[in-house]
Amino acid sequence: MSAGHEAKISAAGVSVFYGEKQALFDVSIDIPARQVMAFIGPSGCGKSTFLRCINRMNDTIDICRVTGTIAIDGADIYDPKIDPVLLRARVGMVFQKPNPFPKSIYDNIAYGPRIHGVAKAGSQMDEIVETSLRRAGLWNEVKDRLREPGTGLSGGQQQRLCIARAIAVNPDVILMDEPCSALDPIATAKVEELIDELRERYTIVIVTHSMQQAARVSQKAAFFHLGNLIEVDDTERMFTNPRDQRTQDYITGRFG
Amino acid sequence: MSDTTHGPDRKERNAWFEADARLKRRHLADKRLRAYGIAAIVFALGMLATLVGTILITAAPAVTQTMVTFEVEVPEGSVDPANPSGGSYQTMLNASIARIFPDVDTPRELRELRQLFSNGGQYQLRDKILADPSLIGKTVSISFPMSDIGDQLHKGVIDRNLPPDFRRVNDTQIAWYDVLVERGQISSPLNWGLLFNADSRFPELAGLRGALVGSFFALLVCFLVSFPVGIAAAVYLEEFAPKNRLTDLIEVNINNLAAVPSIVFGLLGLAVFLNFFGMPRSAPIVGGLVLSLMTLPTIIIATRAALKAVPPSIREAAIGVGASKMQTVGHHVLPLAMPGILTGTIIGLAQALGETAPLLLIGMNAFITAAPDSMFNPSTALPTQIYIWADSPERGFTSRTSAAIIVLLGFLVCMNAIAIYMRKRFERRW
Repeated sequence: MSAGHEAKISAAGVSVFYGEKQALFDVSIDIPARQVMAFIGPSGCGKSTFLRCINRMNDTIDICRVTGTIAIDGADIYDPKIDPVLLRARVGMVFQKPNPFPKSIYDNIAYGPRIHGVAKAGSQMDEIVETSLRRAGLWNEVKDRLREPGTGLSGGQQQRLCIARAIAVNPDVILMDEPCSALDPIATAKVEELIDELRERYTIVIVTHSMQQAARVSQKAAFFHLGNLIEVDDTERMFTNPRDQRTQDYITGRFG
Repeated sequence: MSDTTHGPDRKERNAWFEADARLKRRHLADKRLRAYGIAAIVFALGMLATLVGTILITAAPAVTQTMVTFEVEVPEGSVDPANPSGGSYQTMLNASIARIFPDVDTPRELRELRQLFSNGGQYQLRDKILADPSLIGKTVSISFPMSDIGDQLHKGVIDRNLPPDFRRVNDTQIAWYDVLVERGQISSPLNWGLLFNADSRFPELAGLRGALVGSFFALLVCFLVSFPVGIAAAVYLEEFAPKNRLTDLIEVNINNLAAVPSIVFGLLGLAVFLNFFGMPRSAPIVGGLVLSLMTLPTIIIATRAALKAVPPSIREAAIGVGASKMQTVGHHVLPLAMPGILTGTIIGLAQALGETAPLLLIGMNAFITAAPDSMFNPSTALPTQIYIWADSPERGFTSRTSAAIIVLLGFLVCMNAIAIYMRKRFERRW
């Protein structure tokens, strides 16, 4: 762990079971604040499963069971006293496929603040919508058509709208599950640029299949394989000088 | 020689494109299959055309109603202005009929003459005097239906060239009718009475008002019960219920319930609503409750299908920004599923509108001559009214039965059209 960055999220001994099947084995990791951490690994290695533990999205799956502890700022998020609804306001999520609500651009952003009672409709809400869209680099493109449906935007714009929607509830952490896998290279470049800017304010965890993307956007990387966390290191060091043979094989394209 | 230098020779090249026998057979089978399909559609359309055509042809005579017009003298003193409903209007009507046919005097002939006219005439005269008592002492012109035999004679359903023993009117009655036609007292306007009159034993006076109002009340009750209950059940089963044996059992039972013959629901309604709860017999509220039992499975199944069709990404998006389960369903999933739910509901209601068997068992096939004022009054419904009329011996009911079927079909087509429109209008927008 590089010095100067306190751990925002620290997981200890996290295992995940889907029914009888164990998907994640005893994962312990510290994720530093205000950096981008990339989870890499072959399909089915458990990186998305672990990502979804961080905001308890796995709670919505009946047969899913999580053991171990995950703490954000020292507070265990699996504590029975923690309400997952509030947790998800602090830990926003961006999904693989852009999934704006079939509502207007404005309502897409305003929905989160509205249900959390952060702001009432009116100028206060307008401000949140504008700030969120500006931070997501979308404001100039959509400021004249806030009342038009969010589903009418292009794929890349939709994904940035989803990022803006996550930002609107003022989270500490943003989880991104392969946010660029459905986008073309130009839209991908824009989202990557945006991730780099967001790093100043938020702790970002991104799952990606693209080595290049991990190299471009992340400062830290974690390599998962068959449900195990193999290696965590600075991205640069992992890509140039991996410690584990499996990491080396994956990065050089021997499997995956 | 030049062929060989430019690749395979001509014959060989053409062989690539020549369909061999096997390929020909495949294409032939393809064409045959398509022909079977077209033949099936033509057959189905032919059957439908025959059905609708027969109904339309049979119903055609019911489009108009033969009316007769009489000038009736209402002598001063024959009606008490203080109590105009007590007047003997039949006597006045008889007098004016007798004036046109002065030589008819034997009781038998008089009876035969009056058989040509509906007995609704006196009520029409009374209503006219009630509405405007100043008409007492004047001559009032009233136009009222001819009786069934007069109507059928006018429409040519009764063939006057048949020997007298084979038709329901005798030669003298035909002669009287001819006199009336000659005097211009017979007319055949559109038969609005079919829609706006209540039921009657006399086909010329019978109408569908009671049945329409009864069906409306029954469907209203059916909607008010099955829509909220159906949606609540479907949302719980689809979104909240744990997946275990009990919910599997419930699901199987709901699917089976949709296939239960409707007469069984009628028996259930008779046993539970009438005999156990003592609700009023023949009332639309009971009919509506029984129909809602039938409609519930349809609505539940349609709602669950509509909820399933909402992509999981929308649920994830809502949960991802911190919406609770209830908010996710209430704000996003249910509104997106609503078009599908409404389509299913309308189709379920259309089914309920045409349902006859359960209504027969709870007595909605009673003979009731007044439209119900509320859902607790005895009434018929459209399909049971058709059933009653189809069972009646009078000749005039034959065409009226078909006309009533057209009215019922009209409502069904409208409801299905609304369902299709809504499905198109609100098709998935994500």
